[in-house]
Amino acid sequence: MNIFANQVPSVPKSQAELLYEAHQRKARQFQLNVGLSWVTMLAIILFIFSGSHFLGIKTIQLDGEFIRANVGYIAGGIVETIQISLISIFFATILALLAALGRLSTFPPIYALSTFYVSLIRGTPLYLQIFFFFLALPQLGVVPSAFWSGVLPLSLNYGAYMSEIFRAGISSVGKGQREAAMALGMTPRQTMQRVVLPQALRFAIPPMGNDFISMTKDSALVSATGFVRELTWRATKVGRATFHNLEALIIAAIFYWIMTIILSFAQSRLETSLAKGDR
Amino acid sequence: MTPIVKVTNLDKYFGRLHVLKGISVEIQPREVVCLIGRSGSGKSTLLRCINFLEEPSHGIIEVDGVQVASGGKGQAHRQLVHDVRLKTGMVFQEFNLFPHMSVLENVIEGPVTVKGMDKAQAIQLGEKNLDSVGMLFKKDEYPNRLSGGQKQRVAIARALTMQPRVMLFDEPTSALDPELIGEVLNVMKKVAKDGMTMLVVTHEMGFAREVADRVLVMADGEIIEDSNPEDLFTHPKDPRTKALIDRYRTGEQ
Repeated sequence: MNIFANQVPSVPKSQAELLYEAHQRKARQFQLNVGLSWVTMLAIILFIFSGSHFLGIKTIQLDGEFIRANVGYIAGGIVETIQISLISIFFATILALLAALGRLSTFPPIYALSTFYVSLIRGTPLYLQIFFFFLALPQLGVVPSAFWSGVLPLSLNYGAYMSEIFRAGISSVGKGQREAAMALGMTPRQTMQRVVLPQALRFAIPPMGNDFISMTKDSALVSATGFVRELTWRATKVGRATFHNLEALIIAAIFYWIMTIILSFAQSRLETSLAKGDR
Repeated sequence: MTPIVKVTNLDKYFGRLHVLKGISVEIQPREVVCLIGRSGSGKSTLLRCINFLEEPSHGIIEVDGVQVASGGKGQAHRQLVHDVRLKTGMVFQEFNLFPHMSVLENVIEGPVTVKGMDKAQAIQLGEKNLDSVGMLFKKDEYPNRLSGGQKQRVAIARALTMQPRVMLFDEPTSALDPELIGEVLNVMKKVAKDGMTMLVVTHEMGFAREVADRVLVMADGEIIEDSNPEDLFTHPKDPRTKALIDRYRTGEQ
């Protein structure tokens, strides 16, 4: 038992402590108000779609029976959506890394290949690229499945955009790091593998997370081929069949939204843990 | 005695700028040589030419029997440069520790990756060297948790763990807060006492006077004076040397 516990003299708080506390209070209050506003906005949206009569206002009536009958089927598309996104981000990462290394090459053909790829892919719409794989390639005798007609252009497209992230990551590693590696006797390849790339990847992970999140949404474009049963395809299919597009698209939108909220949360956790690390 | 470092007729151009003008210098085994001079005199460039961080424009570099002529190309030249780098340890002004590796990982990276040394053996050697620079207690920390002086001591241990024949120091205390300079200089004195051949580019006149066997003074890409520290600091021959010493004496750096 601590007999001194009650005898600690109460020191008056300093000006700085008081200011700090006031600042903390203000920040907490702001967070609370933002939270309340979110809840209010959600409540208003729920009210608008509640189908009730309130003070003479007739709100929108959704078909509950349709929703109950089809929500499970639409939800099944989440698996495809995630599958497409994961496979595409995997290939995109490889392409981006190769394009970034090519961009740093002093060998003209390699440099040219890298800039050509990035320029061509970034200069044309993703939507067109998907159709190119699905509709144009078969004319040349190459018939990729609908799934790969989606995955390949997504990979190429995101690879081109992400190559900039890797390039920035690689150039963020200082000259001194390369010199230290060279002075130890490392070959250029060892310097890249052991010193530059690990640091560049750490730099690139947060923006790659952002790209993965936007890819889960761009994967909806793959539905245009009409054969990949991901979220948007399923929603438009059941919506059109019985003219319940409103309900179907709202369901799909909610699923996308929840997915991005979860992924954003995971990404910000990752970002803080990387920031805490050894940089 | 055969010199361990021999630089012959070394020229270095940066574009049209003639930075090193026909430098020839020899360093004997176990000798501690300080290289002083105003900034822009070419002293860092000379140091960096010795392990080919800068490719010399003309001339021959020889380290412990490995002779490399400038302007070489191809695999044979790369192999010679590699051999020279294995014989030289380098300590940089900005430390250049690898931030994604712990202190011990930094120190064993060279032996394991470059020399293919067995990891357990490298750890043993690395821990011994970390201990001798007084940094063993931080072996599992990452560099961002260390002070500048501690980083530089780790960088010295990293270079030593490659078991070089010659240590090159490029202004090792210039990036440090004044109160941290002493700990690094003490470690360097210890390395010198253990018999390491050292070439040190420095502004620390006290260190040069106390520790160096020889002091080289550089100005405008040439070595203008080469003598023992006592003579140099008491009877500088060249007026530029005198000006340099006076400037430090009055404390305006």
